[in-house]
Amino acid sequence: MRIRVKLFASLSELMPDGVKPHEGFELDVAEDTTPTQLIQRLKVPDGLAHLVMINGEYVPPSRREQPVLSEGDVFAVWPPVAGG
Amino acid sequence: MNDEQLLRYSRQIMLPEVDMEGQQKLAAARVLIVGMGGLGSPAAMYLAAGGVGQLVLADDDLVELSNLQRQIVHGSSDIGRPKVESAAARLRELNPDTRITTLQHRLDQDALIQQLLQVDLVLDGTDNFTTRFAINAACVAAGRPLVSGAAIRLEGQIAVFRPDLPDHPCYACLFPPGTTEDQRLNCSENGVLAPVVGVIGSLQAVEAMRLITGFGPDTTTWLTLWDARTGDWQRVRVPKDPGCPVCGTRQGNA
Repeated sequence: MRIRVKLFASLSELMPDGVKPHEGFELDVAEDTTPTQLIQRLKVPDGLAHLVMINGEYVPPSRREQPVLSEGDVFAVWPPVAGG
Repeated sequence: MNDEQLLRYSRQIMLPEVDMEGQQKLAAARVLIVGMGGLGSPAAMYLAAGGVGQLVLADDDLVELSNLQRQIVHGSSDIGRPKVESAAARLRELNPDTRITTLQHRLDQDALIQQLLQVDLVLDGTDNFTTRFAINAACVAAGRPLVSGAAIRLEGQIAVFRPDLPDHPCYACLFPPGTTEDQRLNCSENGVLAPVVGVIGSLQAVEAMRLITGFGPDTTTWLTLWDARTGDWQRVRVPKDPGCPVCGTRQGNA
């Protein structure tokens, strides 16, 4: 199936050249792909996939090991932010 | 409110969302701000200027030269001074109506809860997850709203957590403790564009004033994310996690 991937802020450099974070890029993935597997495939470093969203809805860590993706979904990842 | 105060706050009292009633609520409000850095600086300045009656400032650091690029409550002559002292002086100059108290020592969890019980809400402007988790746990224990802001590089986030209301999420529902490393996530390691902390700290002040005056009755918890590199803003609803180790009910926690 085909989904759209958006990597925001400092993670945007992991996307193909020229892709804007808010537009994202299309990716073919297997039906049973989990968010965790997808994050690994996108080469997001451990600990930097802080906030994961599918179609703008927050995906808690407990659901990231499940095949929760469907055709046409928008998968977005934001890095952690703690500074002040 | 005397004539001078009416004039000082007139542009705010004019707003139907605030009015006299809201301005009086601000005057009666007590707000704890943890961290007098890039977020705490504008937040404290706007809350003082806007007429919040009492601010409690907590920070155990001293002002350094490298802080001044973004921590606008402090000035060049404040280098080496405790941040809470420097900030208190600036805020008293900004608005003598606001009562400022300072906490310069690090608080343990019990002391933090005791402090929280004496205020109406808390603003988190700290620079690490360990402190953020401690503040959240204290807010859950004391039942106080938490206005959480964070900024780094060209990225910012803000959310208001309402553990004082039933069935509302807390910070740990969104970011479970233990899943996030603390290293390399602060401004000294990553850098930050000066006004990025200013925007988020100012938004924290807006949210604090919204909570105090009661305009905007929606209590849904949203996390707002800002990518200043592209100008993108995004908002995501934060659901309560029944299994949350801090506020969850699944394991019989309070």
